[in-house]
Amino acid sequence: MELSNVSDTSIKKPNRIDGRRLRSERTKQLIIEAYLALADAFSPRVPTAAEIAEKAGYSVRSVFERFPDIRALQIAAVDYAMAQVTALAPSGEFEGDRQARLNAQVRARAQVCERWLPLWRSLIINQGDSAELKDRIRVARERYMARLEVVYQPELAAVSELERRQLLIALEAMTDLESWARMRQFFELPFDDACIAWIQAIDRLLPQSSTSA
Amino acid sequence: MVNKSSDTKPARTDGRRLRSVRTRQLIIDAYLLLLRESPQIPTATAIADRAGYSVRSVFERFPDLHTLRVAATDHAMSQASLQVAEHPPRGSRAARLRIHVETRGRVCEEWLPLWRALNANQGESAELKERIRRARELVIQRLETMYRPELTSIGPVERQQTILAIEALIDFESWARMRDMFGQSFDQACDIWVRAIDRLLPPTPSDS
Repeated sequence: MELSNVSDTSIKKPNRIDGRRLRSERTKQLIIEAYLALADAFSPRVPTAAEIAEKAGYSVRSVFERFPDIRALQIAAVDYAMAQVTALAPSGEFEGDRQARLNAQVRARAQVCERWLPLWRSLIINQGDSAELKDRIRVARERYMARLEVVYQPELAAVSELERRQLLIALEAMTDLESWARMRQFFELPFDDACIAWIQAIDRLLPQSSTSA
Repeated sequence: MVNKSSDTKPARTDGRRLRSVRTRQLIIDAYLLLLRESPQIPTATAIADRAGYSVRSVFERFPDLHTLRVAATDHAMSQASLQVAEHPPRGSRAARLRIHVETRGRVCEEWLPLWRALNANQGESAELKERIRRARELVIQRLETMYRPELTSIGPVERQQTILAIEALIDFESWARMRDMFGQSFDQACDIWVRAIDRLLPPTPSDS
C-alpha cells in the first residue's frame, strides 16, 4: 500500500509539472505571436504591454511573468522570426542553372521582404543601445550573405577572394529589405516587376561561372 | 534729426535680424553636432547647452523640436547639394565613376546621422517624408547626370531597372554597413561601389 502510494505520486508529479510547463510555453508562444502581429501592424512603433496582453488574451501580469520587460519579449520575437525565415527557406535556390537559381533566390528573398519588412524596420529603428538586438541584426545579415555565397557559388568561385567579398557586399546592399521597400512603395513596382529588376541587376553583377562561360 | 533717425533705424533692424539668423544657424549646428556624437535624439536642453543659448532662445526661433528638425534637414540638403555640385561629371567612364562614388561616399560620411534621425523621426510628418522623397530624387537625378551616356543608350525599362539597382546600392545604410559592419576603409568602400556600378551599367556607347 505504502509502496503503491509512493509509486503513484512519483508517476503523477512529472506529468503535472510537464503539463504546467507546456501551458507556460504555449502562453509564451502566444504572447510572442501577439507581439509580432502588433509590431507588424504598428511598425515602427513598439507595441505596449497592455496592447500585447489584450491581443494575446492574457493579463499584463502574465506577460511580465514570462518576459521581464518588453525588450526581452522583443528579443524572443526576433529569434522566433529568424528561426521561421531559416525553416521556411526554399531549397530550390541551390539547384539548377544560373537563371533558375537567380529566379528562385530573388523570389525567396522578395517573399521574406514582403513578410518581415515591418518587423525589420521596427527592429532597426528601435535597436537603441541593445547589444542583443544589434547582434541579431548582424547575424541576420551574415546568414543572408552566407546563403548568397552558397546559391551563387559557381559564379563566385570564378573570381578572387577579394572580388568575391566585394560582390557579396554589393549583392547584400542591393537586395536589402529597404531596397525592396523602395521598389514597392516609392517606385510603386508590382511584385513581379520588382523581382525582375533584382534578377537583372544580380545577373549583371555576377561574373560568368567557369561552367556557363 | 529725422534724417539721422531714418538712417540708423534700418541698420539697427538689420543688425538684429542678422544676429537672429546667426543664432538660428548656431542652434541648427548644435543639433547636427549632437546627432553626430550620439544616435539618441537630442533634447531641447542639450541643444541649448551646446549652442550656448537658453532653452527659451531655442523655442523663440523654433516653436517645437519638429520645426528645428525640418530646418536642420533643409540646411543639410542644401549643404549636400553644394558638395555634389562641386564635382560635376567630367572625363571618361572610369573618371565619372570615381567622381560620383567619392562624392557620394563623403555625403554619406557626413550626413548619415541626420539621415538616420530623419528616418526615425518621420512618423506622420508630411514635411519630413517629403524631404526623404526629395533626397532620394536628388540621388537619382545625380545618377542620371553622371551616367547619361550609358543610361541613354538603353530602353526606358532597362534604364529604370539600372537606376533602381544603383540607387539601392549607394544608399546611406549600405555605406554605413561597409564602414561599420564590414570594416572597409573609405577607399575600400569606394572601390566596392565603383566595381559594382561599373558592372551594373551598360557599355559606354562611344568614348564619352
